[in-house]
Amino acid sequence: MSEKWLGLITGLVFGYALYRAGFFQCGIVHRGLWLRDFTMLKVMLTAIVVGLVGSTALDALMPGAIHFKVKSLHLWGIIAGAAVFGLGMALAGYCPGTVLVGAAGGRKEGIAALVGALTGTVAFIYAYPLLKPVFFEVANFGKVTLPSLTGLPAVAVALVLAAVLAGVVGMLSRIERTRANQTTRDKEVHSAINN
Amino acid sequence: MKTVPQIQEISSAMRASWVSVPGWLRWGALIGLVQIFAMLTYAPLGISTAYPQLVGYILDRLSPGFAQQQLYLQEIGAKIGWEVMEVLGVFLGALLAHWLSRRGSANPMAGGASAVCIRGFEGSPSRRWLRAFAGGFLILFGARLANGCTTGHMLSGIAQMAVSGFLFGAVAFATGLLAARLLFREPIGGATS
Repeated sequence: MSEKWLGLITGLVFGYALYRAGFFQCGIVHRGLWLRDFTMLKVMLTAIVVGLVGSTALDALMPGAIHFKVKSLHLWGIIAGAAVFGLGMALAGYCPGTVLVGAAGGRKEGIAALVGALTGTVAFIYAYPLLKPVFFEVANFGKVTLPSLTGLPAVAVALVLAAVLAGVVGMLSRIERTRANQTTRDKEVHSAINN
Repeated sequence: MKTVPQIQEISSAMRASWVSVPGWLRWGALIGLVQIFAMLTYAPLGISTAYPQLVGYILDRLSPGFAQQQLYLQEIGAKIGWEVMEVLGVFLGALLAHWLSRRGSANPMAGGASAVCIRGFEGSPSRRWLRAFAGGFLILFGARLANGCTTGHMLSGIAQMAVSGFLFGAVAFATGLLAARLLFREPIGGATS
């Protein structure tokens, strides 16, 4: 099958899952950044753990089967870009993937954010020659991963990391349950007082 | 030998247990499986590179020679390849989910569109759209500056244990949390799930 078809199929399932997880609404990110709702974090962490364990296991069993593509650590570009990105995510409630999902879901804010995203793309194309020397060429440490940095075997690091991330998901779920119980108890106390 | 009612009981119990799997786990795990599929067939998932590729492709059609003049497009290529097709797929997949949910056969998780107000941006729709437009501008500009977004740096980067992914995730979330506290009122309502 050609590359283009594989890309389309990959995207179709990805977009369907993002919509069903609720990412078409910007409120999921707004509440997430206020730490009132951990859905955004839990979906992301679950996807990362499955991808991490699956790709590491398949790579160990069938060397060469997995196509890794590690992004280089160009320090200033990543720090500055992530800060701009975080502010934009807070304002829009979308990221470059979910903005498409919001627009497809007919959300006016999603459509406005998508138009903004396309404008930001054009602005970046024009700004790139100015930005390149500082943000891409200075302090570029290349493709650094935890196993390459520590010298530990990838399988071991992956297992520890997956356990830590799964632990975080469990912790977030427990906080949500505690909060839900608290709300129920508050309601009971209120109704007892009112009666 | 199990009797027919027993088998029916087991199958309905299995269906009930699938439905009782929380949404975040179901859809998060499916995204993880899509990631493995992508890594087996082409490359890890990524979204934001496709924006300049597609925009560059369209602008080059409208004004021939545009892609050759721009350094960035020379480097990443103003082309329709796997990345752009993946992004178009995300849009179409969401459109399909939206269509199915409107027909009532698949309900997305509940929750309001936006239960938060931003100081200075409340009220008129045009101000809310302006806020979304500005946010959209910044996510793409920032993602290109960092050479990746939530998908490329976090879903894919952290799944590959890349230091760049951890750094991007930490800085983006720290800025997002701070910006939300400074710009928003506290959201009304609890979990969407």
